[in-house]
Amino acid sequence: MLYGRFVLDGDFPDALRLAACGDAAAFARLWRDTHPPLLRYLWVSVGDAAEDVAADVWLDVARRIGSFHGGEQEFRGWLFTMARRKMIDRHRYEARRPVSPTANGELFERPAPDDTVAAALECISTETALALIATLPRDQAEIIALRVVVGLDASAVAQIVGKSPGAVRVAAHRGLRTLRDRVANATVTSPGRGGVTL
Amino acid sequence: MRVFTASLAEMWFSARRRSRLSPDEATAELMLAGRPLGQHAPASQRTLELVLATAAGPATERELAGETAAVTAFLAALPEPEPARRRGPRRIPVLAVAFMFVALLALCGTAEAGALPAPLQRLAHQAINAPAPPPAMRVPRPSADVTPGPGTTGSHPASAGSGPSQESRTGKPSASPKPTHTSASQGNGKPTASASASASTQPTTSTTDNGKGNGGTPGQGGGNGNGNGNGNG
Repeated sequence: MLYGRFVLDGDFPDALRLAACGDAAAFARLWRDTHPPLLRYLWVSVGDAAEDVAADVWLDVARRIGSFHGGEQEFRGWLFTMARRKMIDRHRYEARRPVSPTANGELFERPAPDDTVAAALECISTETALALIATLPRDQAEIIALRVVVGLDASAVAQIVGKSPGAVRVAAHRGLRTLRDRVANATVTSPGRGGVTL
Repeated sequence: MRVFTASLAEMWFSARRRSRLSPDEATAELMLAGRPLGQHAPASQRTLELVLATAAGPATERELAGETAAVTAFLAALPEPEPARRRGPRRIPVLAVAFMFVALLALCGTAEAGALPAPLQRLAHQAINAPAPPPAMRVPRPSADVTPGPGTTGSHPASAGSGPSQESRTGKPSASPKPTHTSASQGNGKPTASASASASTQPTTSTTDNGKGNGGTPGQGGGNGNGNGNGNG
């Protein structure tokens, strides 16, 4: 399975043109094509605030879609650049106003009775896979999400995150090595492929 | 031989290019691109491949649940094209009319002040009854001014009937006309400043105020100026 396959592909120019003219069905096609990877990317980066940030991103898309020109790859780059800016704004906002969900913070410091990674891999789903990626350092998690979930190549990711393609590759490789080490001693059960014992 | 050498160099460069990526890096690039690693890959890599493939899996219903709300928000946030197009052409005439109105007001004010150039002022005088432009100034001939005969005081052809000259309008006696008609000034006594001013501004009355010899006929503005200058008495 190749990541980042574009659903619209040849239909994208028509969908973009109609959406820019206010066609709701064309916008819905763009939304169905792009919203799931956007939500996953934001979930890896900002967690539960992903849906709020995604809604802001789509509002900006609705306002500015008439001025956009380019193909589907460029559209994704444009959209995820906006998403990344809003994500950074969100991080700044949270840094200014930290939220403590519970008064007893010591609970977060205690180790879990079972292996969390193994528990996640036992019944692997999209959420658990994203949660595993989210355990990486933020820049590595972001780059892996953009490359794997969104399907952008190294140069496109480099433009979004403001790094060189070489730096993007290095960060992605480091993240994959870390992920591989974390799942090295776990047992994965996949309904489609059967169990893989490491 | 040359072909053989070229192919060797090509092989060396391609091998070097391949060797830039370590096996781990090459595998990582395959995984990042979503290409299958094959059955011979280590189990840890296959597990990681499974995790990445799951993360990039098809959209779930939960992720697509907000489509209706997103489309509604899109329609609400979309700028309305029709009113915008109507507003565009209408704004320009409104601005143009306002600008023209202000310009017209400024033009009328300038015309009422009499500060327009002569052709425009004449046009404004005909159109809105603005003050008429001053008549063109005639420069008197110096020879005619300096040699008026005693018997023709103030009535020489250069100054007669020409209306108020530049000097008479400003009320200042010019220096060029020399007071040669002394009989008139002597008969008048001491010409006061008011008399000279009235003589210069009102040529018709200057004959009575300023002395008999100042101007023979009404409208001889140049002659009045001469009379003012003869305040030597």
